[in-house]
Amino acid sequence: MKSTLVISLNTFREIIRDRILYGLVVFAILLISVSMLLGQLSFAEQIRISMNLGLTAIHLGTVVLSVFVGSTLVTKEIDKKTIMTILARPISRTQFILGKALGLSLVNLVVMSGLSVVLAGVLYFLGADLKPIFLLALVGILLEGMLLLGITLLFSTFSTSIMVVTFTMGVFLIGHWLESMQFFAEKSETVSFIFFQQLISRVFPDLEVFNWRAHAVYSDRVSAEEITYAGLYAFGWFILTIVLTSLIMRKKDFA
Amino acid sequence: MFHLKRNPAYMSLYKLICIGFLYEVPDMDSLPVGLAGKGELYFNGGMSVLKVVDLKKSYRTGFFLTSTEVLKGVSFELEPGTITGFLGGNGAGKTTTMKCLLGLCFPDSGQIEYFGKPGMSSEVKSKIGFLPERPYFYDYLTGEEFLLFYGQLSTNLSRSALKSRISDLLKRVDLSHAKSRLLRGYSKGMLQKVGLAQALIHDPEFVILDEPMSGLDPDGRHSMAQLIEETARQGRSVFFSSHLLHDAQQLCKNLVILAGGQVVYEGATESFLLDMDSGIEVTCFSNGKLERHNFQNNEGVQNFLRTALNEGKVVQAVQPVRRSLEQAFVDKALRAGDRS
Ligand SMILES: Nc1ncnc2c1ncn2[C@@H]1O[C@H](COP(=O)(O)OP(=O)(O)OP(=O)(O)O)[C@@H](O)[C@H]1O
Ligand SMILES: [Mg+2]
Repeated sequence: MKSTLVISLNTFREIIRDRILYGLVVFAILLISVSMLLGQLSFAEQIRISMNLGLTAIHLGTVVLSVFVGSTLVTKEIDKKTIMTILARPISRTQFILGKALGLSLVNLVVMSGLSVVLAGVLYFLGADLKPIFLLALVGILLEGMLLLGITLLFSTFSTSIMVVTFTMGVFLIGHWLESMQFFAEKSETVSFIFFQQLISRVFPDLEVFNWRAHAVYSDRVSAEEITYAGLYAFGWFILTIVLTSLIMRKKDFA
Repeated sequence: MFHLKRNPAYMSLYKLICIGFLYEVPDMDSLPVGLAGKGELYFNGGMSVLKVVDLKKSYRTGFFLTSTEVLKGVSFELEPGTITGFLGGNGAGKTTTMKCLLGLCFPDSGQIEYFGKPGMSSEVKSKIGFLPERPYFYDYLTGEEFLLFYGQLSTNLSRSALKSRISDLLKRVDLSHAKSRLLRGYSKGMLQKVGLAQALIHDPEFVILDEPMSGLDPDGRHSMAQLIEETARQGRSVFFSSHLLHDAQQLCKNLVILAGGQVVYEGATESFLLDMDSGIEVTCFSNGKLERHNFQNNEGVQNFLRTALNEGKVVQAVQPVRRSLEQAFVDKALRAGDRS
C-alpha cells in the first residue's frame, strides 16, 4: 500500500513537471474564456451557453489528459528502462501499475479542480446561480476520465503509444454514441444493425452514463440510483482493466 | 433516457473482476519467506547469499521468432561478505543473468536461491541493491528527491532518518554539491555514482552492480572501487560484472566467468591466476640476438641454463609467466568457444 502511494506521488510529480500539462491547461482556460465571450453574444441563453462550453472544455481536457498522458505512463517507463530499478525494489508489478494510475488520477483531480474554480468564477461573474448539480457534472467527468485511463493502460501493454491513443479515442467516441445507436436500433428493422448495436453495446463502455453536463446546464435532477450506478460502473471498468493490465505485466520480461 | 442495465454482459464483467481479485490476493510478494532478522546473515558461515542452479533462458527474436539460447544452464554460488566479479565478453549473458536474479525477466528453467531459501519475495528484494548497466533514472527528479523516492520504496525509515542517510551517502559518492540539481543535468559519471547511492540507500545485504565502472574516468573508477570495497568491508556481499578486468583482479576475492551463456570458471581469483601460470620464461642473448624460451617445469629450466651457460649465452632473465587476468580470461573464453 505504501509503495503504491509512493509511486503515485512520484507520478504526480512527474506529470506536474512535464510541459505538456501546461499546454493543456492553457488550452482549457482559453476555451473557457471563449465560452464567456460567446455567452456575451446571446442575451437570453448567456449563462447556459457559457456553462455548456466551459464544461465541455473541462471534459475534453480530462479526456485528453487521461488518454494522452496515460498512453505514455507505463510505456515510457519500459522504453526508458526506468522500470528496471523500480521493479528491483520490494514492489509488485500490480502495485506499480496501480500507483501510476492513481498518480495520473490525482493530476486529473487537481487540474480539474483548478479549471472548475476558474469556470465557476466566470459563471458567478455572469450572475449564475450555481447548484450542486454543477459539482455532480464534474464528478461525472472525473469518473469517465478514470474509466478511460484504465482502458488506456490496458491497451498500452500490447501496443505503441500512437495506436493506444487511436484505440482509446475510438472507445471514447463509440462510448458516447452507444445511446444514440440504441435509440436508432429501437426504431430500426434491419436485423444486422440491431445485432451490431447489441454487440457493440455489450463490448464497449457506455460513457453517456457519466454525462450530467446537460443536467447541470438545465438544472435537471439526477436520481441517486443513476449516480450509484455510474460510480459502480466506472470503478468496475477501472478495476477490470487494471487487473487485466497487471496480469499481462506480470508475465512480461523486461530485457 | 436512462435505463439501469441489468443485462448478462455486466454480470460477467463483475464476475471477471471477482476472479481477478481472487487471482490478485495471493500476490507473489505475500508469499512467506521465513527469513531471520538482519545481521544474522553475515555470520552464518556456509550459507550462501545466492545460489543459482542450471539457469536457462532463451529469447525469441526476428520475424520468425527464432529462439536463441542466451543462458545455457548457468550455475554458481556466492560466498557471503565477499566481492565476486562476474566476467565475460560482450553478449556472454551477464546482464541477462542479473535480470533473472532480480525477477525482471523470467528464466525458462533453473533455480535461484537467496539466503538459503528458494524464490523471490518482497522481503528478499528489500535486502538487495541493484545498479543497472546503464543508469536510466527519472531525470525530472533532483539527486536528493531521487534517493528519497527509492528510500521510501524500500525501507520504513522516517523521512528525516532517510534524509540524513541520503546526505551521508551523497557525501560518500562525492555528490553533495549536486543534490538539488535535476538528474537531467548530471553527467554520465555522476549518474553512475547516484545510481550506486540508490543501490545502497536501504542498507542492503547483497548488492548487484552491472558494470559499475563503465563510463567512469580513472578517478571515478578508483572511487567506485573504493566504495565497493567499503561496502564489502561492512559485511555486505557484492556481485558485480565488469569488462575492466584489472579492477576485478584487484577487488574480487572470487570470480564467476561466463562465456557463451555458460560458466567457464567459478572460484577464487588467486587460484584462477595460478591455474593460468604457464611455466617459466628464460630470456638470453646469443650471437647478439635476443632469445626467449618457455619451460613447463623447473627441470627443463635447469637443463637449459646449464647448456646455455656452457655455450656462452648471456642469460638475462628467468621469470615465471604470470599472465594477467585479461589474457587468462581471453584464453578461457576462446577455449570455451572452441568447445561449443
Ligand atoms: N531483449 C532481448 N532480446 C533478444 N536478445 C537479447 C535480449 N537481451 C539480450 N539478448 C541477447 O542475449 C545475449 C546476452 O546479452 P547480455 O546483455 O546478457 O550480455 P552481457 O554479457 O551483459 O554483454 P555486455 O558485456 O555487452 O553487457 C546477447 O547475445 C544479446 O543479443
Ligand atoms: Mg551487460
